[in-house]
Amino acid sequence: MCPRVDDDRVFKALADPTRRHLLDRLFQRDGRTLTDLESELQMTRFGVMKHLRVLEDAGLVVTRRSGREKLHFLNPVPIRLIHDRWIDKYTERHVSALADLKTALEEESS
Amino acid sequence: MTTTTMQTVQVYQVFIKATPEAIWDAITKPEFTERYFYKARIENSSDGHRSRGPDGSVWADEPTYEFDPPRRLVHGWRSLYDPDLAGEEPSRVTWEIEPQEGGYCLLTVTHDQLDGAPKTAESVAGVGWMMVLSGLKTLLETGEALVP
Repeated sequence: MCPRVDDDRVFKALADPTRRHLLDRLFQRDGRTLTDLESELQMTRFGVMKHLRVLEDAGLVVTRRSGREKLHFLNPVPIRLIHDRWIDKYTERHVSALADLKTALEEESS
Repeated sequence: MTTTTMQTVQVYQVFIKATPEAIWDAITKPEFTERYFYKARIENSSDGHRSRGPDGSVWADEPTYEFDPPRRLVHGWRSLYDPDLAGEEPSRVTWEIEPQEGGYCLLTVTHDQLDGAPKTAESVAGVGWMMVLSGLKTLLETGEALVP
């Protein structure tokens, strides 16, 4: 498969409450099994596996074998890259727009 | 915000558009690491893993367990810049570089054996390694910081 460098997969993976819940579970404690991850969800094992696959394809979850178990780890790096690429850019402009507004208003009132 | 429990194994991955050799240089040579690794000058060789802060103080001095350029590096980890962290047991860091299609490599960093180092585990979790890996990717892909 082509490297998962496109942001689309990450945004798509995050656009689902079940998948965000799975990420939150891994954030609380990493290295969980499928059995552990499905325990709080009203969903079939197959359904949970499908969601985990989407998270893996987006690079947000990495799996490792430990003996007979397959453990799931949260990989936050793609979210950081999205943050660097998108969030920083717009919050910066937002902040400077407010700063400009403040300057303009203060000049008007003086 | 939810507090995290101790993560005794942490796994981080990032795709980087660079050759395995370029990535290997970036993680083993101090002139590269100081640009993305919290300004630490890190030297990884078959002899050991040594890190110095910008002021020259020793931040780490641990053994190298595996040194297989440009694919695999395994070394010890113990932060000496903070007395609390320095007092903990050493942990282990594994770097794996796997070439992919289209000139990309998948870099995987596994930080494990953290059972005896809960404060270290907390300090490197999440943002710690994330900043290092996103900084490394930026350095290698923008190229502007890469001078021979």
